[in-house]
Amino acid sequence: MTLLEANGLRKTFGGIVAVEEVSFEVDRTEIVGVIGPNGAGKSTMFKLLAGFHKPDEGTVVFDGEDITDLAPNDRTQRGLVRTFQIAQELTGMRVMDNMLLASQNNPGEKVLAAAANTSSVRDFEGTARDRAEELLQFLELWDLRDEYAGNLSGGQRKLLELGRALMADPDLLLLDEPMAGVNPDLTDRLLQRIMDLRDERDMTFLVVEHDIEAIMRISDTVIGMHDGGVLSKGTPEEVQSDERMLEAYLGGEV
Amino acid sequence: MVLDPQLVWNGLVVGSIISVSALGLTLIFGILNFINIAYGDYMAAGAYVAWAVNAQAGLPIGVAIVAGILVMSVGSVVLDKLVFQHFRTRSPITLLIVSIGVAFFIRNLLRAIWGPSGHFYDLPMEASPSFAGVRFSVEQVAIIVVSLLLLLGVYVMLRRTRIGIAMRAASDDRMLSRIRGVDTEKLVLYVWLIGGAIAGLSGIMLGLDAQIRPNMGFTALIAIFAAVILGGIGDPKGAVAGGYFIGVAQEVSVAVIPSEYKFGVGLVALIIGLLTRPDGLFGEATR
Amino acid sequence: MALVDLLLVVGIIAGVYSLLAIGMNMHWGDTGLLNFAHAGFFAVGAYTSAILTTPPATGSLATRVVGFDLPIVVGLLAGTVLAGLVGVLIALPSVRLEGDYLAIVTLSAAELIRLLIHNEAWLTTGAQTLKNIPRPLDATIPFSYDLFYFVLVWALVGVCYLLFERLSSSPFGRVLHAIRENDDVPLALGKNTYVFKLKSFGIGAAIAGLAGGLWAHYVYAISSIMFLPSITFLIWAAVIIGGAGSYTGAILGASVIVFLRQITRFIPGDVPFGDQLSYIRLMVVGVVLILVLYYRPQGLLGDAERLQAGTSE
Repeated sequence: MTLLEANGLRKTFGGIVAVEEVSFEVDRTEIVGVIGPNGAGKSTMFKLLAGFHKPDEGTVVFDGEDITDLAPNDRTQRGLVRTFQIAQELTGMRVMDNMLLASQNNPGEKVLAAAANTSSVRDFEGTARDRAEELLQFLELWDLRDEYAGNLSGGQRKLLELGRALMADPDLLLLDEPMAGVNPDLTDRLLQRIMDLRDERDMTFLVVEHDIEAIMRISDTVIGMHDGGVLSKGTPEEVQSDERMLEAYLGGEV
Repeated sequence: MVLDPQLVWNGLVVGSIISVSALGLTLIFGILNFINIAYGDYMAAGAYVAWAVNAQAGLPIGVAIVAGILVMSVGSVVLDKLVFQHFRTRSPITLLIVSIGVAFFIRNLLRAIWGPSGHFYDLPMEASPSFAGVRFSVEQVAIIVVSLLLLLGVYVMLRRTRIGIAMRAASDDRMLSRIRGVDTEKLVLYVWLIGGAIAGLSGIMLGLDAQIRPNMGFTALIAIFAAVILGGIGDPKGAVAGGYFIGVAQEVSVAVIPSEYKFGVGLVALIIGLLTRPDGLFGEATR
Repeated sequence: MALVDLLLVVGIIAGVYSLLAIGMNMHWGDTGLLNFAHAGFFAVGAYTSAILTTPPATGSLATRVVGFDLPIVVGLLAGTVLAGLVGVLIALPSVRLEGDYLAIVTLSAAELIRLLIHNEAWLTTGAQTLKNIPRPLDATIPFSYDLFYFVLVWALVGVCYLLFERLSSSPFGRVLHAIRENDDVPLALGKNTYVFKLKSFGIGAAIAGLAGGLWAHYVYAISSIMFLPSITFLIWAAVIIGGAGSYTGAILGASVIVFLRQITRFIPGDVPFGDQLSYIRLMVVGVVLILVLYYRPQGLLGDAERLQAGTSE
């Protein structure tokens, strides 16, 4: 069953075509990997899906609803959550606050409820803390919960980025290079975690990643991009053996 | 609607002053990348120095103008060394707040030395001739001529001299020009020398047209900001065009709105300008 | 005047400035918004309350035809609410602008407000002073009126302090802090950052309006030149010196600024430069602001560790 649909997406910047005729579908509980050389249009496509860019043409459909014109925050509330390629921690906020920020429909974000500090605000906060603790424990960030995020190492920030996105309870998580800068041991555990989340919580993932080996290990479907378009699509094996992809990478490296 | 030529003329005078001051502000912004709230007070300081030389020391206005320009040119560099230089690595917003402190200091220094009330330059009395129904004063003609000469001079400097070309390059892309080995600190020195001189001159022009008061520059600042932003912040050509536009619009507006609100024209133009075209008139702003 | 009386007067001014600084701290300290319209919100609060609580002017030279003679409580509340609404109105088109652009638009908006006050004499008495603003419980206080007003103002400062502290540490405040740090992130995490900015702007402006009302009802008479942009800049200095992000800091900063400005009241006549003292003390404010930014960028009570972490890449 289709969860996300990209239909003929096109995006130009000042006459330069960044993404053109990009169409694909992501099924529920699928893990889709997106690969391609630098400048292939992965990042732009990612932002189109998350709502940080508006497409010139084409539509994005999520869970049967056309969300092309929705703002990023509205997409998140519907369960489509993104991470940032360069970890965008809120450096002047503590790790725990970074996590709690991501909880959805928080009654304490309403001014009057916050001022009155009602019991529903406190209860919600308590539950959110428990969930944050569970995630931080898994990501081995629990001991750093009261640290300012700006004091974390690069790898720790990537983990916090992931934890925060999970805290938003996504149906579909868009991951922008989640493995970059994370040590190999942890990469393995992250990949395992992604597969567990899919199996146990029926989550769906779209992962843009340079680490092709990692992508091949976890993806059900791989999309190969080149020059702003989809060049190859299929199982990891199919895409890996697609000579056009090889050429694109070799061409792109020069 | 037929435009009253007198209003247009007044607008050109005001526009000349705004253009010149906007040019100085935008040049400083282009290199230093922060909004200098104290700029209006640099202008006032220039006007006061010239007044002291002219009315207090009794020297001719020409000498006074040169003195005001020189003092502000050097004074800007001194202020940079004393204050702004120490904040070079800080955010533009920190620098903006630092400039608030500088503004407080200068404005109240002027009040402490020369008192809070207004002054006029000591000028030879001359009749105000009229031409084609437009009455104009010698000072007004001088303001327009001097501003045109200055704008031409700066244009040539930016186009033809090494330092001017480096300035434009740095204003367009700081990173790139640093990589190419442009000495940014030298540029900073020149931009304060030039920007400070322009501030001093425009303050004197403002004082010639109206009254010399400690807050004269600050009061003019919003119209100047409006010109800078309309023209695209950091873009000298745009700042000049924006300055004339606002000056003329402000004066001509008197025909349709109560004259008390003519200063509102700059404000409204600024707000509309910001909201509709943040890249400025020529769309090639630095950001 | 005895020293105690002087201290009360300075204390009342410090309380009013503290309210202004509390509002500004929500804008800048919590949300990272450059509001340069604070003097405008202050003016809206002062004039609203003054107009609502005085009768229309009478006599042949009277210009003001509007006046309602309502209870002072109504005036203060209305001034607070209206200042908040004006804040939202200014923020609606401008709050999406990049930092320093926002500063200039808000500065212009505040000047527009002052221009309106200065010229719409039918409503505000225009360039002249709006006089005879009533003082609350004026004739009924059996002891020093300044003592009463001092307690009133500082009680309100206390209430606002507790309220804003609570908001700042609530999930609502957490979103504001996230906007301050990097507003793409809360956007990606499902927060309508635009609406949160509007709320921040409105709430902070409302407190400035309350400060304006309290000011008007203390000084009897107000005029448009009381609301120059320099008020805004002084409040900025207060928030920066006290420590952006800290409400205790905002109150301390405001008190420091007011003390610096009023210090000459405590110095008996005949001192060198006596005539220039009022200007010199404002020069001192400028120097202190710069020194604090250089030597103690987190301010007196700000969080140095946060600032350090917040500027790390």
